[in-house]
Order: sequence, then structure tokens, then C-alpha cells
Amino acid sequence: MTGFLLTRLAQAVLVVFAMSVLVFVGVYAIGNPIDVLIDPGATQAIREQLIRQYGLDLPLWQQYVTFLSNVAQGDLGRSMVYNVSVTSLVFSRLPATLELVLVSVTLATVIGIPAGLWAGYRPESWGAKAIMALSVLGFSVPTFWIGMLLIMGFAVELGWLPSGGRGPEATVFGITTSLATGKGWAHVILPALNLSLFKMGLLIRLTRAGMVEAMRTDYVKFARAQGLPDRQIVLRHVLPNISIPIVTVFGLELGSTLAFAVVTESVFNWPGVGKLIIDSILQLDRPVMVSYLIFVVILFVMINLAVDLIQARLDPRIRLKGGR
Amino acid sequence: MTLKLFRVGVAALALTAAAPAAMAADLVIGLRAGPDSIDPHWSTLGSQAEALRHVFDTLVDVDETLQLKPGLAVSWEPVDDTTWDFKLREGVKFHDGSDFTAEDAKFSIERIPAVTGPMPMTLYTKYVESVEVIDDYTLRVHTKGIAPALPNDFTRLFVVPSEIGMDARNEEFNSGEAAIGTGPYKFVSWQPKGDMVLSRNADYWGEAPAWDNVTRREIPDDAARVAALRSGQVDMINYVPASDVIAMENNSDVELFKADSIYILNIAPSVKDEEPQPIKVNGQEVDGNPLQDLRVRKAMDLAINRDVLVNVVLEGLGTPATQLMPEGFFGYSDKLEARPYDLEQAKALLTEAGYPDGFEIDFTCTNNRVPGDAVVCEALAQMWSRLGLTVNAQALNGTVFFPAAAREEYTMTMSAWGTLTGEAAYTYGALVHTKDAEKGFGNFNRTGYSNPEFDRVFGEGTQTLDEDARRGLYEEASVIAMEDRALIPTVILQSVWAAKSGLVDFLPRTDQETRAYAITPAE
Repeated sequence: MTGFLLTRLAQAVLVVFAMSVLVFVGVYAIGNPIDVLIDPGATQAIREQLIRQYGLDLPLWQQYVTFLSNVAQGDLGRSMVYNVSVTSLVFSRLPATLELVLVSVTLATVIGIPAGLWAGYRPESWGAKAIMALSVLGFSVPTFWIGMLLIMGFAVELGWLPSGGRGPEATVFGITTSLATGKGWAHVILPALNLSLFKMGLLIRLTRAGMVEAMRTDYVKFARAQGLPDRQIVLRHVLPNISIPIVTVFGLELGSTLAFAVVTESVFNWPGVGKLIIDSILQLDRPVMVSYLIFVVILFVMINLAVDLIQARLDPRIRLKGGR
Repeated sequence: MTLKLFRVGVAALALTAAAPAAMAADLVIGLRAGPDSIDPHWSTLGSQAEALRHVFDTLVDVDETLQLKPGLAVSWEPVDDTTWDFKLREGVKFHDGSDFTAEDAKFSIERIPAVTGPMPMTLYTKYVESVEVIDDYTLRVHTKGIAPALPNDFTRLFVVPSEIGMDARNEEFNSGEAAIGTGPYKFVSWQPKGDMVLSRNADYWGEAPAWDNVTRREIPDDAARVAALRSGQVDMINYVPASDVIAMENNSDVELFKADSIYILNIAPSVKDEEPQPIKVNGQEVDGNPLQDLRVRKAMDLAINRDVLVNVVLEGLGTPATQLMPEGFFGYSDKLEARPYDLEQAKALLTEAGYPDGFEIDFTCTNNRVPGDAVVCEALAQMWSRLGLTVNAQALNGTVFFPAAAREEYTMTMSAWGTLTGEAAYTYGALVHTKDAEKGFGNFNRTGYSNPEFDRVFGEGTQTLDEDARRGLYEEASVIAMEDRALIPTVILQSVWAAKSGLVDFLPRTDQETRAYAITPAE
């Protein structure tokens, strides 16, 4: 197991390196950040002085080496736009994104998996057909459009829920979160629902496909012949067997939702990290872009690791292979 | 219906509750952009200055059409060619109770080079050689050469108390520790890209601000901002997108405020000997650069139907432009008349210039900098195709456009330019004057345009302290540049605000700033 973990860590370090090189070269290819940021009235002298000040006159490899040596000392740099440390900038917005993702993933799981099980258990029923039709809508209609519809319906016309922003925070058990207040829930519910629809559709379809296949297998027939109730067959025997693809996709989706919830965050003006990264890209704020993407790589590696561990728990065959 | 009844009830209740005292009220504004920092000397960004004006005052202020008016300085005058005296306002107190004196103004000027960022405020102190405190309320500024625009530069000179010391940086300002100004509102809190919360400064030296508490909420997404107003989360928004203006005009719950902005979409034709992207006739690259021929530039100008651009393309949210600045700005020439649309004459000019069948040309624009830039770009391409040109129009994100434009890789571009200071030197010095690093002119002159006559007249203006004489010279420069089609202005963009009906009185500003202290409760 230790060997497995070490390999994973080594892979992560490699991916982080590759990522930072890509971002550096990419931003370099787009152009000089100063030309995007600079005030129209600035003189040539001011421009050149700035380029020197930020070390943008140095060759690319030299800028990269400087960056690496700073990272080695734990310094990810300062944002060129906000002039505050990138770490504090990212972590000041991360709780908002975590809340949003947590609620939306919970919604997707709690609704998606039971609905998928039902749709696979009785594939010919009207209920199953309705669920499947809705799941197609869930991942084929663009997120921003559903978001607009939710806002128009629940915030503008009905006036039940706020149209955007994050609610007031409160501290419970040492954690400061807007999920601890009623107003916070009113704010989070629409964006979380919007964000969960795609994942919900995906989970429904995956679960249903696995379910339909599993119900035809011999072990289910044997279980039936033994006289076990269907409920027990589905929850005890079928669900763990079809869980592996579900957990894999769930992990990937969790990562991408955390990192790139940007559309939902924009439409609902949610103060999360997704909006931060998009603004940074538009302003070529390189320190923020590089650090954030490194953070995302680490996040994905960790989620995948967790997925692997869960799979080993679910499937003895994987466990045995990994233990060799 | 029930909602309306409810509102009436609340209003009645409010009326009975609020006896003789002024109506205490809060205002929440949804804005497209906010500050990048609470340090007023960090960046020249327009939305930064707009936000920090609530907390900090400038030495010189500007009215709705960007003409100068007293701020913390009550008057200013040149003593000799390179010296200005500013008389400062007496009895002004900072939010911490300390007195505002000339020392604070001097400190603020000297602090800028030490703390400013990649959008450097040194731009506004570039003429300052040294600063001298004559007495508590007189500040003497020695300039590098003759600097008639110094008071204009000082419209962005925010004053901080000297007590904060040279070590205070963005962190100290963002936390509120150093965010001490003399402005109409006191700083309460701010989150990057989030809310900026302000409370009334009861001891403000100017007109008392109307609202007890003001929240400036950043909502960059257009649709989200509109939804926030319509759902009642905010009281007022800026930058209403054109697509929503028509719907809002028919909605009695909201009230619109419109005004011309300072932003004008200008076409910049490269007149260098060799154009960066080839211009072709029948697939063959032509010799020389056709755009160098004034007749070609005139033909392209004549082929633009500005009424269509305004009324159809921009759905009414614009005004045809005659020059690079809106009317009333220092240096705007009345002699330049509305530009005619005359396709016949345009074709004749093009034939005369030797291109009876037109040519093929690349045309690059921004697509996200100002409302309407991409659609105007496409419309222009179509108008020129009527003239017989083949136009490869491309609207790009500013992130791609500006660095490439700075490398002068485009033959013809269109982007928005705003005369932020309200006077011609800002625009002509950057865009039209021959590129000259030594004099600091022509930094944004990417067309290679160079006219000694223009340079002479404009240069003389920048060396003339007498206001009327300078105005005359700038107006003359305007005529030269426009007759030459150095740049071809198309439309002045309008900006639109929206508020809940009957809630506020607000005089829209040319510079698009939304100043909470200039918004009053509706009568």
C-alpha cells in the first residue's frame, strides 16, 4: 500500500511540473500581461519600468526558475491585480465553492442513485421513462440557461429565493459556513440545484445501465430462486456490484465541479474560486493562474486516490492486485 | 397585485414611523466592476477610482461632464512656468478625527511611486518634480517642464493621512486599518470581487451624503445583475445590457437613466509604408499601403452609415461621433460637423485612388471590452463590402487583442477609447502624436500616423499655460487629425443605469461612475 501511495505522489509531482510549464509557456505565447493591465495613458518609460519590476524582461526559463525557487520556499507569489498573496486569495474564496459543491453533490447522489435504481429495476414503467427523459434534459440543456430559468422563476417572478450571492455566515463546531444559517440555505439552494442537474442526470443513467445489466445476471436469478426479497437483492448484492463505475465517475465529477463551477458561480454571482480563475485568465494574472491550476492538479490526484481506495474496499479483486 | 398592496402598506408604515427626522435609509448598488484594492494609490483602474472616491477625496474634482471643480483644493494657479500653487480647504477632518493639511497632500504624492502596481498611478504624478509645503493650507508643486494639465492629473490624486506612514500596503488598506480618508463615506469592509460596505461620514465637509449605509456589490455577469435588481436584492445597477433596456422600458417597476459615455469606438488604419497584414487585390498583395492614401481613408469613412450603427446595431444606445471626444470636453471642436454617409462619393474616391474594384483587408476588433464592440465590428465590415471591399472582420478577446495590437500586428483595428481626463492632451498625446519615447508621446499610436503640423500645434498647446489659448490650439489639432482621418471615430457609446421605480434621483455621469453620494432619495 505504501508503494502504491508513493507512486501516486510521484505522479502528482510530475503532473504539477508539466502543468506549471504549460501555463508559463501559454501565458508567454499570449503576450505580455503588462499590455493587458496597463493604463492607456502610461508612457513608454513607465511601461518598461513595470516590465522590469515584474521580471517580465527576463527570458522565460529564468522567470520559471525564479518561480520554482519561490515555490520551493512555500511562496506561490502575489497576484499582479490584487497585490495580496495568492494563497490567501484562493483560500478566502474556497469555502464558498466547497459549500456549493457539497450541497450539489449531495443533492445529485441522494436523488440520482435511487432514481437510477428504480429506473433500472422497472425499465418499462412510466415512472422509469419519465426519469430517463428528465435525465436527458439534465445533461443536455446548458447550465447557464437552466440557471437563468431558475432565477426568473424562483427569484424574480415568485420572489421566494434570492437571485444570487452568498448568505450570512455563522460558526458551528469551529467551522465558519453560510450553511449554518437559514438565509445561507436560501442562497445556496438554487445554485446548488443548478450545479447538480448535470451530475444527477449522469448518475441516473450510470446507475440504471448497471442495474439493467445486473438484474439479468445469474447471481440475481439464484438469489431470487432462493426466495430473497427484491429489496435485499438490490441493496445488498446489486448495488455494491455496480458501484465501481459510479464511484469513478462521481470522483471525476466532484473534482471538475470543485475546480470549474464557474458558469454557475457567474450566473448566481457566487463568490467562489471559479470566478476568480476566470477573471485571472482575462487579466493574464499569471501567479494566480499557475497557483490555482497547481491546486487543481493536487485536488484531482487526491480525489483519484480516494476513488482507488474506495474501489479496493468495494471489490476484493482490486484489493488483491494492489496488495501484491 | 398583492405585492403592490403590500408595498403601499410598507410605505405608509414607513411614513408614520419616520416623523420629522430625515428618512434614514440604506442603498445597495449592483455594479459590473469594483476595486482591486482599497489602497487608492495602487491602480489607475476606473472602477478602482470610482469606488475609492467614496472614502478618499482628491485635490481636484470633476463634474458630470469631466470639467474641473474644487475638491480638497479650493483653487489653483500657476505661479510661473514650472510652479503651481494649490490653496487647500480648511477645517477638513479625516475619518479618524485628525486634520487635513498640506503635509498629507505632499505625503500622498510622494507615496505613489513606492506603492503603485502594474496600472501605475505615477501616470498622474509624471509632471511632478518636487512638492513643497508653504503653510498648512498651501501646497506648491514644481513641475518638470511646463505642465498645464497638472490640475487634470490631480483629479485622481487621492489624499491619505501622512500618519499611516510609508509602510502601509494593500493588506493594511484592505483590512480597514489604513483606509482613512476625508470622503463622504467611511470604509467598513471589502472582499475582492465581493461587497464593499460603507457608512455615512456625518462630518463630511461637502454636501451631506443621503444614505446611512451603502453596499457596493460586484456582479460582473450582466444577466445576474439584472436579475438582482428585478428580484429586489439590489436597489440600483449600472451597465444595463442593451438587450434588457427595451424590456425594462416597458416595465413600470424599474426606472432607467441614460447618458453618453466617454467611450468612442475608433477605427485605426495603419499608415505605415508596409502594412502588417497584407492588403490584396485579386489575391495579389498590392504594392505599398493603400491606407496611406487619404482618399482611401475618406472613402472608408464616407461608407459608414452612423445612423444605422446607432439605431439598428446598437438599438439606440449611442450617438454618432464627429471626433475622438464627446461635446463639451476641453479641445472639442465645433467646426467638425456630423459625418455624412455617401456611398457614391466613397466609390468615386476609391476609383480615383486606383482601386475601382476595392481590395481585401483584415479588420480586427475587441469583443468584450465595451458593450457593442463586436456587433459594430461586423456591421462595419458589411458597410465596407457595399463599397466593394472584402473585409475579413475578426472580433477578439481583449486578452489576445491588446498584446498583439501593442506589437503592431494588425493592419486595421477598432477598439474603444475614453478621454478619462476630460481634455484633449490625454487622447492626442497617446493616440495621435508621432511616436516619441523621449517626449512621452504616441505610446498608443499603433498606426504609424505622423503629421508634423499636428505635432506642432498640439505640442504648442501642451506648452501653453493660458487656458483659452490652449483650448484654441487643441481645437485646431482636433480639426487637423480628423481631416486627416488619422483615426476614424464611429459612435459614442451610451451607458444605462436602472433603479427601482421612484426610489432615487440620479444625474448620470459621462465617466460612467456611480457615486453613491450623488444619488439621493427620490422626492
